[in-house]
Amino acid sequence: MTNKILTMPASGVETEVMPVRGRVVKSKWTRDLLTFLMVFGPGLIVMVADNDAGAVSTYSQAGAQYGTHLLWIVLLLLPVTYFIQEMVVRLGIATGKGHAAMIYQRFGKWWGLFSLVDLEVVNFLTLVTEFAAIHLALNKLGVDPRYGVPLAAACLILMVLTGSYRRWERTVVFLCLLDFAWFWIAFRLGPPMGQIVKHALAPSMPAGGITPELMFLVIAIVGTTIAPWQLFFQQSCIADKRLRFADVKWARLDTFLGACVTITAAVCMMIAGAASHAHGFRFNDPAQMATDIGTFAGPAMRNLILLMMINAAVLGTTAISLSSAWAYGEVRGWPHSLQLPWREARGFYALYLVCVAAAAGIVLIPRAPLQLIILGVQVLAGVILPSAIIFLQLLLNDKELLGEYANKPWNNWVNWTIVIVLFILSLILAAQVAAPNLFPSAVSGPTT
Amino acid sequence: MATMANPIDLQAETQTRKNHFVVVHPLDDVPETKVDTEALGPMPMTRSVRFSLLSLRAYLILMVLLVVYHVMMLAR
Repeated sequence: MTNKILTMPASGVETEVMPVRGRVVKSKWTRDLLTFLMVFGPGLIVMVADNDAGAVSTYSQAGAQYGTHLLWIVLLLLPVTYFIQEMVVRLGIATGKGHAAMIYQRFGKWWGLFSLVDLEVVNFLTLVTEFAAIHLALNKLGVDPRYGVPLAAACLILMVLTGSYRRWERTVVFLCLLDFAWFWIAFRLGPPMGQIVKHALAPSMPAGGITPELMFLVIAIVGTTIAPWQLFFQQSCIADKRLRFADVKWARLDTFLGACVTITAAVCMMIAGAASHAHGFRFNDPAQMATDIGTFAGPAMRNLILLMMINAAVLGTTAISLSSAWAYGEVRGWPHSLQLPWREARGFYALYLVCVAAAAGIVLIPRAPLQLIILGVQVLAGVILPSAIIFLQLLLNDKELLGEYANKPWNNWVNWTIVIVLFILSLILAAQVAAPNLFPSAVSGPTT
Repeated sequence: MATMANPIDLQAETQTRKNHFVVVHPLDDVPETKVDTEALGPMPMTRSVRFSLLSLRAYLILMVLLVVYHVMMLAR
């Protein structure tokens, strides 16, 4: 059988396609399981990577300030995050292209450029916060960040330079599975199970009622659970993996399982924060929280939380940098696939490399304006999120583009409700951070 | 006749095929034909959608200007 030369819609370059290689199985059950395992990846990665350093900070702060009272809000976000990412799954599989390319082609240059620039800026600022978290955690672990941060950046770059999507995916899925350590942390530190179940299933307000501080923490929880880069990342990832129409149901299952894992890990982070609160500690940052927990749960627990914080930042960094590189490559028409070797997709890999290296470098600069950067992340994410979701919703109603994969009326009811709520919340958050005098009694802006 | 397959063998082969499934990884499979998005061009929009997007554009420009102003104030 001779190899064919085909143009891959995802990467935009001619690629030599190997003859189809498959595995023969005997039962339907094995076929389904194996197909799922082959499709599995983008959904889990996008969801777990969303629990990045900022998320660890936000969830543990929520636990440290309000105990387990806000667990029900996190659980409420499970269907929300699933429904949004499920739309991306359909769009990615039907078009075989990334989100940035779709906006550019269907809404024109202005929107294409605006979405791209906003995404690149907010992603870069988020990367700086990821490396700031790595810096902080390494310091507490007794590792000199001057060596540890460049080493982490080098590993993150090497991870994508193998010229194999599968190799990258396997590495990242392994890192995602490490997130299960949060379950053990919560199990060891957690309050009685009855209290967790009660606060998770029955909405309750913390003592003191609804205050501006509580309001903004809730907005931050929502903001950190649904981030703009996720839309761009998962669609590009699906396009790069070349998922087929027949894979839709397995990609949905992958996304749903990912949503369950990430929400459960978020609950565990909140429980860890609640444990430090119960022992009378005041929350400053997650690294300090780990040290505080270490005083009553032992140094092993402290080190584990710090390592999980680094893992969260590493996962966030690879996913966010890739979403930037994919989006830029799609819009510029550059070859942009993890399947391609370095020499065939130089622009794509160079952008990833520059994002990671520059973000790591900024963190190592003494007295870098990190607070200003965190502020920028919050506001720009708030600005981009509603527009990104509105475009997603419009694209998903485009029957010319999606045919049978377009939204059904019930999809639209659910999604427009989510869009309206997110729009209001992001508007409040962006306004609060950009003009804090509007809400004088609120604490400093929460972390995205 | 040597070339003629035994009906019993054929039946058995069909049965075997029914009981075997080939699973192919998406990256090993022949790429599917997807929607040609470039040929579709810009999305046709109703007047209300166009107006909503214009409003969104005004909101985004205003928010970005607000952010730039705020960051400049903080940087001083």
